[in-house]
Amino acid sequence: MELLEDIKAAKDVVNALLKAKKTFRMYPETNPMYEKMIEDAYAKFRSFFDYRDELTLKVKQNELFCDSEQVYHNLQKEDNIALFFFKDGLREITFKKGFSHKELEEFLKILTVDYDREVVDDDVVTLLWERDFQNIRYVVDESFLAEDEDYETSAVKEVKDKAPDADELSRAYADAFKEEGVKDISIVPLTDKDLHTLVKELEKDAYNKMDKLLIIIFEMLYQAESKGDHEDVVHFLNDAVEFSIRHGDLETVIRIMEMTKEVTDGPSVPDDIKKYLALVFSFLGSDAEIKLLGEFLDSGVEIEEKVFDEYIKFLDKNAIQPFITILGELKTIPARKNVINALIALGKKDIQSLAKGIYDSRWYVVRNIIYILGKIGDKKAVDYLIKTVNHSDIRVRKEVIKALGELGTSGVLQTLKECLDDPEVQIRTSTARALGSIRSAAAKSIILQRIADKDFNKNDFNEKKEFYEVLSHWKDNDVIEFLMKTLKKKAFFGRAVNDENRACAAYCFGLMGCKEALPLLYKIRDSKNKILREYAYTAIKRVEYGQ
Amino acid sequence: MASKEEVFTGAKDIINQLAVIIRTAAIHDSGNVAVTTAVDKFVVLMNPLIASEGELTLELGGEFFYINETRIRYSLEYLPNFDFLIREFKKRGLGSIVFKGIIKSVDMQTFLKVFISSVFSETPFETLSEDMAGVSSMSVGKLRKVRDEAEGEFDIRREVKKSYFNAVSYTRGVINKIKSGEKVGIKKAKRVVEGMVDLILEEEQLLLGMTAIKDYDEYTYHHSVNVSILSVALGQRLGLSKKILTELGLVALFHDIGKIEIPNEILNKPTNFTDDEWVIMKKHPFWGVRALLKLRGFDATSMRSAIVAFEHHMNYDFSGYPKTRKRFELDFYSKIISLADQYDGMTSSRVYSRIPMSPDRALSLMMERAGTQLDPILFKFFINMIGVFPVGTLVMLDTKELGLVYQSEAMFLDRPKVLVIINGKGEKAESYIVDLTEKDAGGNFLRTIVKTMDPNKYKINLAEYLL
Repeated sequence: MELLEDIKAAKDVVNALLKAKKTFRMYPETNPMYEKMIEDAYAKFRSFFDYRDELTLKVKQNELFCDSEQVYHNLQKEDNIALFFFKDGLREITFKKGFSHKELEEFLKILTVDYDREVVDDDVVTLLWERDFQNIRYVVDESFLAEDEDYETSAVKEVKDKAPDADELSRAYADAFKEEGVKDISIVPLTDKDLHTLVKELEKDAYNKMDKLLIIIFEMLYQAESKGDHEDVVHFLNDAVEFSIRHGDLETVIRIMEMTKEVTDGPSVPDDIKKYLALVFSFLGSDAEIKLLGEFLDSGVEIEEKVFDEYIKFLDKNAIQPFITILGELKTIPARKNVINALIALGKKDIQSLAKGIYDSRWYVVRNIIYILGKIGDKKAVDYLIKTVNHSDIRVRKEVIKALGELGTSGVLQTLKECLDDPEVQIRTSTARALGSIRSAAAKSIILQRIADKDFNKNDFNEKKEFYEVLSHWKDNDVIEFLMKTLKKKAFFGRAVNDENRACAAYCFGLMGCKEALPLLYKIRDSKNKILREYAYTAIKRVEYGQ
Repeated sequence: MASKEEVFTGAKDIINQLAVIIRTAAIHDSGNVAVTTAVDKFVVLMNPLIASEGELTLELGGEFFYINETRIRYSLEYLPNFDFLIREFKKRGLGSIVFKGIIKSVDMQTFLKVFISSVFSETPFETLSEDMAGVSSMSVGKLRKVRDEAEGEFDIRREVKKSYFNAVSYTRGVINKIKSGEKVGIKKAKRVVEGMVDLILEEEQLLLGMTAIKDYDEYTYHHSVNVSILSVALGQRLGLSKKILTELGLVALFHDIGKIEIPNEILNKPTNFTDDEWVIMKKHPFWGVRALLKLRGFDATSMRSAIVAFEHHMNYDFSGYPKTRKRFELDFYSKIISLADQYDGMTSSRVYSRIPMSPDRALSLMMERAGTQLDPILFKFFINMIGVFPVGTLVMLDTKELGLVYQSEAMFLDRPKVLVIINGKGEKAESYIVDLTEKDAGGNFLRTIVKTMDPNKYKINLAEYLL
């Protein structure tokens, strides 16, 4: 019953291949399931090779045969491994006994390529051919490649019909005696130098072909005669840009843009050509290209800052909105950082477009836009920023307060003053810090007023401390006088709260390094209140030793 | 123990080292340190592989070496030694060396001694074989004539013919589709070219022979396929990999795609072009770039194709067209394809001077252009490939037989196989093939080409004889 056993083993191989075809791609190479799948299929091959030295599968449209025995049958189009081989002309496939584990893995990869994807230019036969397996043989029917099956017959008949008459042949024979003898065609043999030159050329040949193609495309531009020619050139440049971004080759994109710019800046270039070339710059900033760029940035490939900055220089303001869109989609911090830098550069060209980002539904995008507006530092941004101080998300509100502080125009003071009434302590302290960064007298005045307010005493000690810390930015008489007054203040009622204020004043003096305060600080160093005592002590150390 | 992969990776080094020891032994005494060192190195190289395989057969088949039936691939730097060894094997009628077990240096020294001396024998292989009888670890086999038997030859010719016409038919279909604006993929094109690459590797001369017939009505399609075949064959001589050869063949297939925009009345004009018509003709490189980039967008193959479509008439010295503002180096493929294009164009009746040249005249003219219009080094490879008397050349032999060159012989460029169509008595008899490498008992060649003629002048239909 040996025959039955080997056919059964062949069936097992086919089933293993079928199983692998369905699931092989689901697992990354590092996943143990990936290796298990290969091992399982390999075991089936080994079992078969216990019986025979070769496994030959004959391929029909819906069946596979081993010898004359059917080992697979499927009338469905989906998941039909026979049809999968058959449609590409494969008619027989043989695995030899030496078929290795590595070869099986490669074979499974070929088996599981997504051939329906438009970008795949290879079919099963091409991949088998390219891989050139030592232990796989196959037979292919190439006749489906011919567009016209009878072409050979008709073409041969056509040329053969042009037969000469016998006289011409005789004339040729007669003339041959009159002809001159053959000249020596001396073939100069190949030298080592020739081979060396060729090897060098072959090495050079491996380089990227884009630069050469760009020269050709620009040559086409110079020789263009019609509107259609110009449109074609723009189309090709756009394709070149897209191809380069897709391959993460930002340097080539930069070269394309430099070459384009060189033409548009040329004095003798007609306006209509400039107009066409401007489309390349718009294309670079289009939704699709920025999305591609985002995917590349997110891929984790490190990009030189210089290269990215150079790239951004060629972008126009139309890139702002697409950048805002991808800002909320990027997964990695470096990618987001790059996009933020790009928006800082681009936003300067059009604050209004950038500011539209504050209406984005994603809080983190809004926060980033606020940060970017703050970094740009354009006073025109204030109006947009003010609109977000009441944003529902506290993280956005904190960011906008910080940005307003950095902008520091007088227009922001009223808004910040109002933010000091926010019920959230984080907002109030952020506002205090923002006012601190403005450093104007008006800002100081707001802080002083707030601290002087009797309700301020009710605040938590840490919040109060933050306010006093901000106050330390102004080392002027007003502040020193205010702090002295606070430090000296005695209270019979609410002594603990008063001591907290005094501790904050001591803390502020310490930060300021104010020597005038030392006598007072010494006095309270022995206070019964622990906080006051500790803060006085720390402040003295700071003032005396700069610690 | 060496793995299977290692055996075949190391195979080219075996050939290389064998060539080295034979070269060294030819100038030094067998006891010379240069010889013994080289022999020792060879033995060290061989024994792990013999141990791994059990028995190792190094065989010459056609123009290729095989180890245990697997063809040895090599890159350009190995070419001189491979060529040398092929020549030396052929001189002795040696077809194979079988390493039956672990070899010793002394075995190889014996082999070298008898190998060198056998060339002076009138029956070199027999002498070599007899003298090697005492070496138990090695044996030698006679050179087999590749598919010389009528039956096998007929089958393979039929296969070659079928592949050739499939390729032309495909090209015709695809060009027509492009003309009508249909989108075309390159899966099929790849398959067509892969088939050609396989045939070039196995039956180079037969497939090259197919390009010699030029009388087809549909010149454009045949020209595209011919240029592709000639380019792949040249690339193969340069040691390019199968994958690269496929790309080269694909690129060559579409080198003239820009011509689809040239009006048929100009393209098929029976007389010379006017200046205005030349202006239009010279635009086809631009149109080629446009067609290819529109057809496929940007990918490695389409970019390469577009570059070649643009450059294939520019010439090595940039004397051709189009003229460009910026000077750049020509693409390597462009140099190969322009050689193939010029040769096929010159020997066809539809382009250039409109009067087709005989293949040998075309080669002479190309030789004059080597170094100016054509890359001189590549041309050397080209002529080595095509032979001094290319297939289709009408020749008279010193036996007064008139015939057509039927198949070139890579090792003896001036001694091809000839299909005699008029015998020595001047009679048009049943045609027969003669091999010009054949010698009489005295070691003199039986036949030699004395004159070449233009078959077109006498309207000799090559298809009648070669198809």
